[in-house]
Amino acid sequence: MFYDILVYGFIQSAALILMAFGFSLVYGVSRLPNFAHGAIYVFTGFIAWALFNTVGLPYWLSVLLSILASGGIGVLIYYVILRRVRGMEVSEVIATYAIGLVFLEGLRYAGFRGGTYTLPVASDGVSFIFDVPVDHQRVLLMILGFAMVALIWLLTKYTRMGRALKGMAQDERAAMMLGIDSDATAAVAVALGSMLAGVAALIIFPLGSLVVEEGYKVLIYAIAVCVVGGLGSWAGTVIAAFVLGYSQYMTVAYGKPHFQMVVMLLAIIATLIVRPSGFFGKQKQLEERV
Amino acid sequence: MLEARAVMVFYENMLALNNVNITCPDDGVIGVFGANSAGKSTLMYALSGIILDIQHKERMRGGERITLFGEVVHDGEDITKLKAHQRARRGLVLCPERRRLFPESSVAENLSIGGHLATRAEAKETFDFVMDLFPALKKLTRRAAGFLSGGEQQMVAIGRALMAQPKLLLLDEPLLGLAPSIQHTVVESIPHIRNEREISVIVTEQYARPVIPYVDYAYIVENGSTVMEGTREELLGNPDIKAAYFGCG
Ligand SMILES: Nc1ncnc2c1ncn2[C@@H]1O[C@H](COP(=O)(O)OP(=O)(O)O)[C@@H](O)[C@H]1O
Ligand SMILES: [Mg+2]
Repeated sequence: MFYDILVYGFIQSAALILMAFGFSLVYGVSRLPNFAHGAIYVFTGFIAWALFNTVGLPYWLSVLLSILASGGIGVLIYYVILRRVRGMEVSEVIATYAIGLVFLEGLRYAGFRGGTYTLPVASDGVSFIFDVPVDHQRVLLMILGFAMVALIWLLTKYTRMGRALKGMAQDERAAMMLGIDSDATAAVAVALGSMLAGVAALIIFPLGSLVVEEGYKVLIYAIAVCVVGGLGSWAGTVIAAFVLGYSQYMTVAYGKPHFQMVVMLLAIIATLIVRPSGFFGKQKQLEERV
Repeated sequence: MLEARAVMVFYENMLALNNVNITCPDDGVIGVFGANSAGKSTLMYALSGIILDIQHKERMRGGERITLFGEVVHDGEDITKLKAHQRARRGLVLCPERRRLFPESSVAENLSIGGHLATRAEAKETFDFVMDLFPALKKLTRRAAGFLSGGEQQMVAIGRALMAQPKLLLLDEPLLGLAPSIQHTVVESIPHIRNEREISVIVTEQYARPVIPYVDYAYIVENGSTVMEGTREELLGNPDIKAAYFGCG
């Protein structure tokens, strides 16, 4: 039982990192709370499904193209809509939420409902971790969860564009003075965030079935992780994903899986009451120093 | 050459800059002196294009209305409508008041983010130049910028601006809040920047005294208007100005 919780709690945490990291990245760089995040997650899943089943492409190509498509959707959303509302806090929320609704309810309207749509797993095998059986899709999930964080970290350290993201995240106006284009950089952030949502979807959906409602769930999970961790703080996002991932898995381990969502909502409410800036956000601290 | 022609800036109905004309020739070091709230930073924002971002953000959040008049002309081209990052690409780089370093990034990373517009070779060469200009930074490259002293931060801020390969560097109150010994190190860098990099400089300060030896020409700003201008000698020779701005030395 202990090892069960250890291993599956870890898997749940990695899943939360995958779901939340894109949201955190977009907010950190552009200060846009992307309420369409969950919709992009679901939409990417359906793009891959359609490319594979309807168009008949090989699965690896469907995966690749659907992730690229999610990035393209991110850029498009930024330039067509978000750029015009960026800086108007209420409109940011309304606009991104509306975009999400269009995607999700559009899919539902087009007839994609119920549990009949599935994506294939990467491999059927099972491995044992501390004698706990774990299927290969979940092993992949763990690996990719951390690989994505590492990849983005390397990007911000070693590429020009990544450093621009990092500069923008800390002081947008100072970045502009150095020749960094705020709109282009924000668009890149939204594209990367959307692609991360896409990667998450393509790893997590094969564990169940493709359903539109997942979009709302993923959005709430992502928000919970980011609020608890401190919006825009990477370390906070990862730590919060672990705290919440293990808490969520406890509810499963003790036979009350329907409390998973309750855990997340309570975490959001408790954080907003006790410490609105999040438990691990360091931005605040540094701001006060300077 | 950079010229401000009849520049006016209103914050709502408050006139922060009133019909300001300024010229900075290539290779020049220009001083802009004035008391607190005279409009120095507003002028720097107008020259660098940051004012357009301030105006845009205020409009988006439903804040104050900022109105701009006049022109900014760079090398014969009207750049009044160009955004800050586009002006930076033309070589107009602002090192802002209170430095605005990236606090969580190390000194080295602040400099490399500053090198956004530089080629790899330029970035490397400029990095070395900055380390020679401010040897105190050599030991601090891995330190988070948020934890440096004011003087160290100012050196990093100037270095970061240089990384952007400016042709004209705008320095807004670089000495603000620094101890006199550090002030000396910072102003001393101005002639090096001009002579070794062929960068012209516009520097603002509240107190002209530490900076005046390094400028060719200066403007005195009061309540948003230039009330006096002249070469260094002309200003030093004027007894009223001397008493008011140079701390009667
Ligand atoms: N964003 C702003 N909104 C309203 N008034 C401002 C703003 N920025 C500056 N001011 C006012 O404009 C005047 C000039 O300010 P500033 O350019 O910062 O002067 P300085 O840099 O010389 O101290 C001051 O009276 C200041 O209060
Ligand atoms: Mg000022």
